[in-house]
Amino acid sequence: MNVVLQTRTVCADQEVQLIKITQEVKTAVEESGVQNGVVFVISAHTTAGITMNEGLPCVEKDLVDKLEGLVPTRDVYAHAHFLPSYGATGGNSPGHIKSMLVGNHCVLPVQGGKVVLGHAQDIYFAEFDGIKNRKYYIEIMGE
Amino acid sequence: MVIDMHVHPALYGEICGDKERVRLRCDEMGYHLMSPSPLEVLDKQNAYAGIDKMVLLPLDHSTRCDGQVVITNEEIRTLVDLRPEMLIGFASVDPHRSDALEVLDRAFGELGLMGLKLNPAKQRFYPDDRMMWPIYEKCLEYGRPILFHAGLSWEPQTLCKYSHPLRFEEVALEFPALRICLAHFGWPWVQETAMLMIKYPNVYTDTAMMYMDSAEQFMEKVFRQDMGEYWLDHNFPDQVMFGSNAPRFRPVRIKRGLDSLKMREDTRRKVMGENALRFLGMEGK
Repeated sequence: MNVVLQTRTVCADQEVQLIKITQEVKTAVEESGVQNGVVFVISAHTTAGITMNEGLPCVEKDLVDKLEGLVPTRDVYAHAHFLPSYGATGGNSPGHIKSMLVGNHCVLPVQGGKVVLGHAQDIYFAEFDGIKNRKYYIEIMGE
Repeated sequence: MVIDMHVHPALYGEICGDKERVRLRCDEMGYHLMSPSPLEVLDKQNAYAGIDKMVLLPLDHSTRCDGQVVITNEEIRTLVDLRPEMLIGFASVDPHRSDALEVLDRAFGELGLMGLKLNPAKQRFYPDDRMMWPIYEKCLEYGRPILFHAGLSWEPQTLCKYSHPLRFEEVALEFPALRICLAHFGWPWVQETAMLMIKYPNVYTDTAMMYMDSAEQFMEKVFRQDMGEYWLDHNFPDQVMFGSNAPRFRPVRIKRGLDSLKMREDTRRKVMGENALRFLGMEGK
């Protein structure tokens, strides 16, 4: 079995943003040489996740708005205190909670050297604590 | 015009080439688990937050740091040259240096830096110590303001007895032409800072404070509970400046905290930029 690990960086334009990375994953799989297996897309962070959904702006807006409704930026969070380990005040609790809700990864089949996606499926890097340089992994495993 | 008066560029990638030096800088300034990022990220952050300009603050406490200056005046000049429309550079000097006045002559005269940042708590001096008078006179000679750290400091090896607002009163009195900013509203001595502002028109402050809770909660506490509802609008609308204390507090969050406060629209314009222009001597330029 072959295992190919690639690292990608991304930087949002907003504090909260769904960034489509479908093409990056497709390209990584096609260049990996793996014909049949699975691909994992994994976030390297605790305030940014990986999710999949239909790649329409209206769907993206609903997802972002409803997550904000569930986990409002302006609310009371225990994490909002001075953190000596950072030297900063924790102001990103909503990001931690939203990233937990969407999860840190997705998994897709690889067949014939290509990612197998449903017709409406897109892959997103889900930024909930921007704006900063971020990292995610694409790991392809198979024959 | 929105100006962030209080930014520490410790983690700007363009001055983070030397890893050992960055480690020393972060240890001295108390920044951990945060990584350097290039100015392109700052461009995005400011575009999103609606921030037009930022004042960059260096740190020279070399007499307490084995001769090392953790963010130099030259590094500030380098950054300003990369974003001249966005970045405004201040100087720093350790007042205990024997060549402090020469450092300032170079910073203002050759490097063209626009003001001086001093941190009494970190650099260990009392602002009203006569030792400081030549430094204040040098700033007056060049027409440069001073931004003092005031109140609580979270940096390692700091003592807040040096940065109590009352230790600045004699400076304000003896140097009425010198524009001084007691940063962080002098927190927790907010009322002492307010007292100095109503007494001395050359005293300014900034909003770089989110020591507990969220920015919205903290601003509400300071501007609505520690102070009367109309103190800002009616007493010192010309002396409070937006400042964030990045990277310790994220500018977009401090700005959001201020945005959540009810105040007159002309006061808001002043706080967000017009007061900074006057403090910096850039009014009408």
